[in-house]
Amino acid sequence: MNKIEFTINGKKVATQVEGRTLLVNLIRDELKLTGTHVGCDTSQCGCCTIHLDGKSVKSCAMLAAQADGANIVTIEGMADGDKLHPVQQAFTECHGLQCGFCTPGMIMTAASILKDHPQPTEEQIVKGLEGNLCRCTGYINIIKSVHRAAELMKA
Amino acid sequence: MQPSRREDLRLIAGHGRYSSDWNLPNQLHASVLRSTHAAARIARIDTAPALAAPGVKAVLTHLDVERAGYKSIVGGVATKDKNGELMKKPFYPILATDRVCHVGQAVAFVVAETPEQAQDAVDLIEVEYEESPAIVTFADARAPGAPAVHADIPGNLSFVHEHGDEAKTAAAFAGAKFVTKVRVDSQRLICNPMEPRACLASFDAATGRYLLHAASQGLIAPRVHLQQITGVPATDIDLIVEDVGGSFGIRSSPYPEYMLSMLASKTLGVPVKWTGSRTDTFLSDYHGRALSLTGEVALDDKGNILAFRWEDEIDLGAYAGPFGAFIGTQNVSIMCGGVYRVPSVFVRSCLAYTNTTPVSSYRGAGRPDIAYAIERLIDQAAQEHGFDNLELRRRNFITPAEMPHTTAAGQTYDCGDFPAVLEHALKTVDWSGFPARRTQSEKRGKLRGIGLASYIEAAAAGAQPKDQTAARVAADGTITIYCMAGGSGQGHETTFVSVFAGVLDVAPDAIQYRASDPAFAMIGNGTGGSRTAAGQGSSFTLLAQALLAKARPHAAKALGVAEVSYAKGVFSGGGKSITLKDLARQVAPADAGTHPFDSEAEGSYGATYPNGCHIAEIEIDPDTGVTDLLRYVAVDDLGNILQPMIVEGQVHGGVAQGWGQMFGEHAVYDRESGQFLTASFMDYPMPRAGWLPNSGHFDRVPHPVPTKKNLLGAKGVGESGCSGSLPALMNAMMHAVRPAGVKELQMPVTPAVLWRALRDARAKAA
Ligand code: FES
Ligand code: FES
Repeated sequence: MNKIEFTINGKKVATQVEGRTLLVNLIRDELKLTGTHVGCDTSQCGCCTIHLDGKSVKSCAMLAAQADGANIVTIEGMADGDKLHPVQQAFTECHGLQCGFCTPGMIMTAASILKDHPQPTEEQIVKGLEGNLCRCTGYINIIKSVHRAAELMKA
Repeated sequence: MQPSRREDLRLIAGHGRYSSDWNLPNQLHASVLRSTHAAARIARIDTAPALAAPGVKAVLTHLDVERAGYKSIVGGVATKDKNGELMKKPFYPILATDRVCHVGQAVAFVVAETPEQAQDAVDLIEVEYEESPAIVTFADARAPGAPAVHADIPGNLSFVHEHGDEAKTAAAFAGAKFVTKVRVDSQRLICNPMEPRACLASFDAATGRYLLHAASQGLIAPRVHLQQITGVPATDIDLIVEDVGGSFGIRSSPYPEYMLSMLASKTLGVPVKWTGSRTDTFLSDYHGRALSLTGEVALDDKGNILAFRWEDEIDLGAYAGPFGAFIGTQNVSIMCGGVYRVPSVFVRSCLAYTNTTPVSSYRGAGRPDIAYAIERLIDQAAQEHGFDNLELRRRNFITPAEMPHTTAAGQTYDCGDFPAVLEHALKTVDWSGFPARRTQSEKRGKLRGIGLASYIEAAAAGAQPKDQTAARVAADGTITIYCMAGGSGQGHETTFVSVFAGVLDVAPDAIQYRASDPAFAMIGNGTGGSRTAAGQGSSFTLLAQALLAKARPHAAKALGVAEVSYAKGVFSGGGKSITLKDLARQVAPADAGTHPFDSEAEGSYGATYPNGCHIAEIEIDPDTGVTDLLRYVAVDDLGNILQPMIVEGQVHGGVAQGWGQMFGEHAVYDRESGQFLTASFMDYPMPRAGWLPNSGHFDRVPHPVPTKKNLLGAKGVGESGCSGSLPALMNAMMHAVRPAGVKELQMPVTPAVLWRALRDARAKAA
């Protein structure tokens, strides 16, 4: 067992984890933040995407022990109270989600695309979403949502 | 801020509740041992080492399942063949008995304190397999001397389904001036909803009831199937489903892990949770498509269609999966004349077993496949016999003046305007400007093609006789409405509530919606066949009317008048008024008993015929074989559209899945070993962002011809995107490569396939 401490959605957490525990399992099973999803076992789908020290990472591709000292934000930490994050708002406005299973990961990835490229081109968005799969939307409205979020964030 | 859909707020905030998000105190965790062989006898299973492992509480095998009296998984059709024989179907065990018939078949079920312990213990179970030869394709299954998947089913032949008039069709072919024949493969696919399967079962010894959390598409079929398999009455199974991460047809019936979790929970006295992985999805979710259709068309000298004839090869997989046999029988045959005036049709479908994962419905379940085949056939016939491919269609379309039209396949199309839909699409895409665009592409060394498809499908019919809905009114006047269909991204909460609230003339926010509540012993279809708007939607219309009819006399009494009028949620009369909500509060029983406005409604609505014309324009880089979809136009007659944004999303998603099938997706088994070669996202190409044209190059244009077969005039949308896109994309592809000498292609047309075909054609020409 490893003792770790980190911050998640602004709260400090201290816990013990098995060496092999994946970060996503710690988040979902122990911290009960089930908005972060598991869609695959080969790090391909991006459903598990979170922000770790300001960068988007796939939480299924990291051990929990590696998160020691990190500052983590999950989908549950994106809204500011009742005020949605602009990316969240854009996703509902543009119908960027259907079943919603890929959505937390998409939103986390989109937010980080916009951090790197506040006014992203179509190519930058597509490239940024490369590691996120969606089976419902055909991505058309997801890409639209990212453009819209850029607009909302500029305003 | 107002979300676009009612379901959005929780889903974008991470507060959705999917199958694996449910937990119960003291729950144990399960893991499944799956077969590593395609065909083998199980000589021995030793579970002792697993049972002795840390945390392990139970290891279930087929012996436990048999002891519990559990029966075969439900599937197959009850129709008889022309000799009066029923479909041959083997016992489909929940856990393999003395043999395994496909890679991934469940063999044992381990229950332990943690998921990791359960997984570790799975590896400790010793199974001695005696391998035998496997067959993984229809052709191999039907070859003389092929190994039998099931010893008592000769030639691996399950069923031969015939539909139409064989003699009349043969006569039409004998008298035809032109005949064209095309074979199309609709390859085996993995449905791959983004949410892998999971379940949580809890048995309550005091009441004898089960609580089950598992993704489903509705409340009736899964529980009825569970009853047939486990003997537990459906009414004793509380199936509670909130959010479902995509279904596409494969979640309409229960999977072995659900019964095993129920059994384990009963045996161990605590809740049992199973969380499937993506590998479980690939290996053990029912697969999709897996069929080949060979069609012939007979034409007279002017190009009038005289007859269609079909020979279909349907791969069922190792067992008759829940809805697998419907695809190869009913679904591919009833629409086999398409949008055309065809005097005679005949279909023969052979359904065979192979050593592969069983097949069930996947978005369209046979309907996209037949639409694809028909439209390939029409284009090919035009090409071969010198007809213009638009003229050939125009000449043979069933016209609005001929509606209602009963087809030779026995369907009665109630309405539709196929000629106008075609013209609408041609105009939208600027069809006549194509030659100039092709010249531009040629200048850049690219091959360009344009292809269209006039598709039609039968939708909205359901297996249940009617769709019931209910409204319950709380003491505070809040109305909650219920139905039996389960959503998985279609936006039911938004659509149904707006239909209901629309009739009541109140803001949708005033209404609550609850799907699939087992407390309601209602009849109603699950989600499937693009049917919920037409079926449940219409029933919700009646429900709102019923509730108003109940409220009206109470309003008159409250206002002290004989007659009241009603508008915008307010009853008025004698110069006074009262809102529906206030009235509901006023008349609520003091004891929280039945509210006088509680209402029920039901309706039965027949099949509808969504149709449309999809056009794809593509450009190919011959040096790499990479295809770029430049433009996509979908002009659809989906009847009345209730929620334009949701309908658009359904079309996008359907076309994306068609794109996936056309350009990449393929579930491949090794022909020798029967091993499954494409069992992960690294081997199975899923469509990714940017592969479809962006919204500026994807035109989706409604062309509604409302149906009178339901109260809303809706025809349905869920599956049309697949039915339109497969043929449009392939026709565009053939149009692009035919000048380069490529005569035939089958899906998936991957860059490698295309590059090789172009190279071979060049070599042949040289
Ligand atoms: S679950 Fe992390 S990438 Fe799929
Ligand atoms: S919305 Fe369903 S997977 Fe993306």
